[in-house]
Amino acid sequence: MTAGLAKSDAANRAAWASIAPAVLLLAAIQGYPILRGVYLSLTETSLMSPNVSRFVGFANFDRLFASVFFEKTIIVTLVYTAGCVVGAISLGLAAALLMNSEVVGRRLVRAVILVPWATPQVAVALIFVWMFNPDYGVLNFALRTAGLIDDNVLWLNDPDIAMMSVLMVTIWKIFPFSALVLLAALQSIPQSHEEAARIDGAKGLAILSEITLPGIRRTILVLVLFLSIWSLRRFELIWLLTRGGPVRSTNTLVIDLYREAFINSNLGRGATIGVVGLLASIVVTIVYYRVEQSSARRAGET
Amino acid sequence: MIILVGATLYPIYWMVVSATTDTSRLFVSSPDLLPNLSHLSGFHEALTGTPLLRWLINSAIISFGATTLSISVSWFAAYALSRYRFHGRGLFGLALFVTQFLPEVFLLVPLYGLFLTIGLLNRLEGLMIINAAFVVPVATWLLKAAIDTVPREIEEAARVDGAPRLAIQMGIVAPLVLPSIAAVAVIAFFHAWDEFVYALTFLSKGDLKPASVGIASFVGELTTPMDVMLSASVIYVLPTLLFAIFAQRYVVSGLVAGSVKG
Repeated sequence: MTAGLAKSDAANRAAWASIAPAVLLLAAIQGYPILRGVYLSLTETSLMSPNVSRFVGFANFDRLFASVFFEKTIIVTLVYTAGCVVGAISLGLAAALLMNSEVVGRRLVRAVILVPWATPQVAVALIFVWMFNPDYGVLNFALRTAGLIDDNVLWLNDPDIAMMSVLMVTIWKIFPFSALVLLAALQSIPQSHEEAARIDGAKGLAILSEITLPGIRRTILVLVLFLSIWSLRRFELIWLLTRGGPVRSTNTLVIDLYREAFINSNLGRGATIGVVGLLASIVVTIVYYRVEQSSARRAGET
Repeated sequence: MIILVGATLYPIYWMVVSATTDTSRLFVSSPDLLPNLSHLSGFHEALTGTPLLRWLINSAIISFGATTLSISVSWFAAYALSRYRFHGRGLFGLALFVTQFLPEVFLLVPLYGLFLTIGLLNRLEGLMIINAAFVVPVATWLLKAAIDTVPREIEEAARVDGAPRLAIQMGIVAPLVLPSIAAVAVIAFFHAWDEFVYALTFLSKGDLKPASVGIASFVGELTTPMDVMLSASVIYVLPTLLFAIFAQRYVVSGLVAGSVKG
């Protein structure tokens, strides 16, 4: 072991001096707010005077769970999260397979695919609101011209359709990320495996399900974790597209939190929703960790 | 493949088309499908008739500040994680991992109170600190992975020659991992350029707004014409878009490494 690796006092001092700024920053901007958020969730606190709180115990939680809208918020959040994960992974996988094949123009795809990722969310929302415009939007125009619809679709104003529209926009924005990550995983599968299967007479779909998918299983798992946590907390796109409406049909936990805290000026109740969301993220992480562990164990046995 | 490329590019194309179309021709039932490159008054109006320029400058200040802050903070943390065995190393690593999963918006309420107390509301510095803090965990992981690939022998040789540790870090190790530093810079800059909800909540004074909040404020108000609104948004999108395409290799490697290995 080299001198730099020993747990000497000098190394300890040097290391702590190096990480001190990071520790301070994380403690102030992430650590403290979590504790403070948990405390606020047990209080009645107004936006007008955020530092004056009245302790109310679990009253905010009781109120939240008793609310007729809470169940709907949870369902909407789950549908949105599942939609994002499934949509981004399937579209991402399709794009990744394309980029990994010998198709002409795959370089173009690799450049083009960065475009949605690099477009700031506010601009994404703005342009889609315009494209979704029921009377003058290009989407309804295209569908009308193609003869697929007679009446203009109310993309963001019809409670039955708004969620689908919001999902469409979100997936457009996030699928490039999964495509690039999946591409990296595909490229790490040894070519020889596929060739061996081909020699054994396996056809395209069989290769995909027998060789390719198992090879990128772990990456897909990681993606599921990241995409679900990011979707649980995505605010900008939904807020700018629908503000959670119409009739709460796109009202996720985060939208609910923002409205309660900063529109209804009730920081305590906002923090309560935040704690629920935090617990949900923790649950997702634990489930992921378990699945990951068991799949690693299975991989170890074979 | 044509469908994929088409669907990926179309919204951006349509933004440019609509930004270059006269407002009188936008609100019609069969829109013009091609950009009219002689109609650029929307851009002119966006730059002179709205506070767009001020907003972009604010965005640039916040983004540069956040990028510089997050790179310097995470550089030293990454170096320590890669090179030293120290008490609390495991705990620090765990904290970096866990904080990547914290929902930013859930911290909005408590941070609002904190910033009010310490006087960072309505200060661009406040936004720099917040944006940096949310990037530091992933940046530290990325840089640590990069520093891990630099052989220790290189540093030890320099140390024998009597070079101080800091000089070795900056003069020898940093240049070797420059691509990763670039990737971190891209991630940090994009994050801050894109960020909306903290800026919306913490910067309530009009002349402090960054472009994200400024452009979003067009939505729903009726005084700004559509072509001006979309022109502003084209200008706002341009820097990140061009950068992503020209720095493609760094961006992609940074993205991928930052997520999967992070």
